[in-house]
Amino acid sequence: MNKQMIIAGLKARPVRTTVSLLAVALEVVLILVVVGLTSGISDETGRRTEGVGADILLQPPNSSLFLALSNTTMPIVLRERLRELPGIKAITPVQTLVNSSAGLEIIYGIEPDTFDAVSNGFIWHKGRLFNAPDEVVVDDIYAKAKGVTVGDTVELVNHKFKVCGIVEHGKGARLFISLKMAQEMTGQTGKASLFFIKLTDPDRVETAIAEIKRLLEGYGVIPLREYARLMMSNSMPALDAFISSVVFIALCIGVLVIFLSMYTTITERTREIGILRSLGASKTFIVTLIFEESAAVCLAGALIGIGSSFLIARIIMAVFPTLTILITPDWITRAVIFAVLSGIIGSLYPSLKAAQQDPVEALAYE
Amino acid sequence: MKTLLETAGLRKVYTAGKIQIEALRGVDLRIREGELVAIMGPSGCGKSTLMHVLGAMTKPTAGKVVIDGQEISGMGDNELTRIRRDKIGFVFQKFNLLPTLTARANIDIARYIHGNGVRSNGHDQHLREILQLLMIENKMGRKPSELSGGEQQRFAIARAVANQPAILLADEPTGSLDSKNSEVVLNMFRELNRKFRQTVILVTHNPELAAFTDRLIEMRDGVIVGDNDSVSWDTESELAQPAPSV
Repeated sequence: MNKQMIIAGLKARPVRTTVSLLAVALEVVLILVVVGLTSGISDETGRRTEGVGADILLQPPNSSLFLALSNTTMPIVLRERLRELPGIKAITPVQTLVNSSAGLEIIYGIEPDTFDAVSNGFIWHKGRLFNAPDEVVVDDIYAKAKGVTVGDTVELVNHKFKVCGIVEHGKGARLFISLKMAQEMTGQTGKASLFFIKLTDPDRVETAIAEIKRLLEGYGVIPLREYARLMMSNSMPALDAFISSVVFIALCIGVLVIFLSMYTTITERTREIGILRSLGASKTFIVTLIFEESAAVCLAGALIGIGSSFLIARIIMAVFPTLTILITPDWITRAVIFAVLSGIIGSLYPSLKAAQQDPVEALAYE
Repeated sequence: MKTLLETAGLRKVYTAGKIQIEALRGVDLRIREGELVAIMGPSGCGKSTLMHVLGAMTKPTAGKVVIDGQEISGMGDNELTRIRRDKIGFVFQKFNLLPTLTARANIDIARYIHGNGVRSNGHDQHLREILQLLMIENKMGRKPSELSGGEQQRFAIARAVANQPAILLADEPTGSLDSKNSEVVLNMFRELNRKFRQTVILVTHNPELAAFTDRLIEMRDGVIVGDNDSVSWDTESELAQPAPSV
């Protein structure tokens, strides 16, 4: 019976119901898309870095897991000392650059031979490896997103590069230039931002890490298979704060909209509440009715929001192929909980106000 | 006959800012089970206030009210709600059907509330008979806006008596109806009273309505000034003691 009353009430005020649904949906979209975008980019970057195929990532002291944020370097000669350790199969130095002229792209400056030894080589779609300092290899997603092909010129970090090859995505960066050119552009001759290390036996990762840490005290040494997880966890407190802020703002939107919606509802329906009270409906009945109506709006709005989030994610990823939006079941659940929570908080005062109405006065309300 | 409703020294004072309005100034009243009573008086005489007190919608400022053996003047909101739910049926001048629900759902919601949140299958035979009597069985699917005033009031009556309340209270039930529909509705009240022995109290300022009832109680300035009760009481008043004053 409550369901019938709630549906009838919602249908009787289609504009307000629609606005409330859209507002709750917006709350959910805001949470899912923004969180999905931030975690998607981190996750995709992490997976791409893991996709290099190395076992260990070595960084200079005080480096960030966000490779784009690291400007620390280490001498490439360290590689010789590392090679003396047991079980090291291959080591490749990488100098990272950040191209921020159109988005934020990491460029890897690589040594082709050692990079191939660690990563088992690129899968080529088109073209060849760079032969000259002003040549760049791009991955297929970058090529599609920017609409470039072999022979085209792209501008990276104020330098013009000719696209010489297109490779399958998933090997660390989307753009690859020669290590020498990267060192020149960053003024870090003979140095590298990181080493990817491949072991002869991947099961020896923990032992190898311990040995490297003993050899290079203070350096960042992490198993690459945990890179994505580490990127997403406590290593990014600023991201956590950002996500918390977005969730809080979304929750505020939801609370305010539901509050306004339910407050106007009970004002408009004062007489109806009086009728229900005259029929013997208890205060609890009235509170429950308002809560259930708000929960229905929030749940329906959340469903619309979830569907819209997936749709928006697809549109964004179609328009910007280099972006990844990761909408996880975990965050879907949280978004629904936040939506329902906003409904409960938003309808708390209106429902109590409705229940406290004097039946005689409520019936006299015009 | 059993005394169903009784008041003694009933007073009700409303406060509006610094002004106090004494709507009821000591009402003593006894109504038997199965009576069809009209409470009549001019506007502002306190008859609607009396109906609200008798219907457990509001508490008296002083005095006592006994409904079906239960003294309600000291009751809290929850107990008054229970009395309304279990003992009282209301019919209002403006029908007060829930506008978003169908006529059927308006009746169902009353039964649902009466069943304390449980959909009731009981009283179906009673309800069928009521609907037949009121001649509205074939309009159950309509919304109030799709019904005439007379039909709306008949559904309001059906809703009020669907749970077989001890007392049916009707406040100016014909106040929004034309004379033809008024007569139909008043006849319905009489039929309900005759056929189901439903205790009915009609509150009105319309002298014509009084002709349809067995007993006429007249009010003026918050007190009862006339009662044509012709039947002697075979029991003593339960509220023989005088009520405390305000």
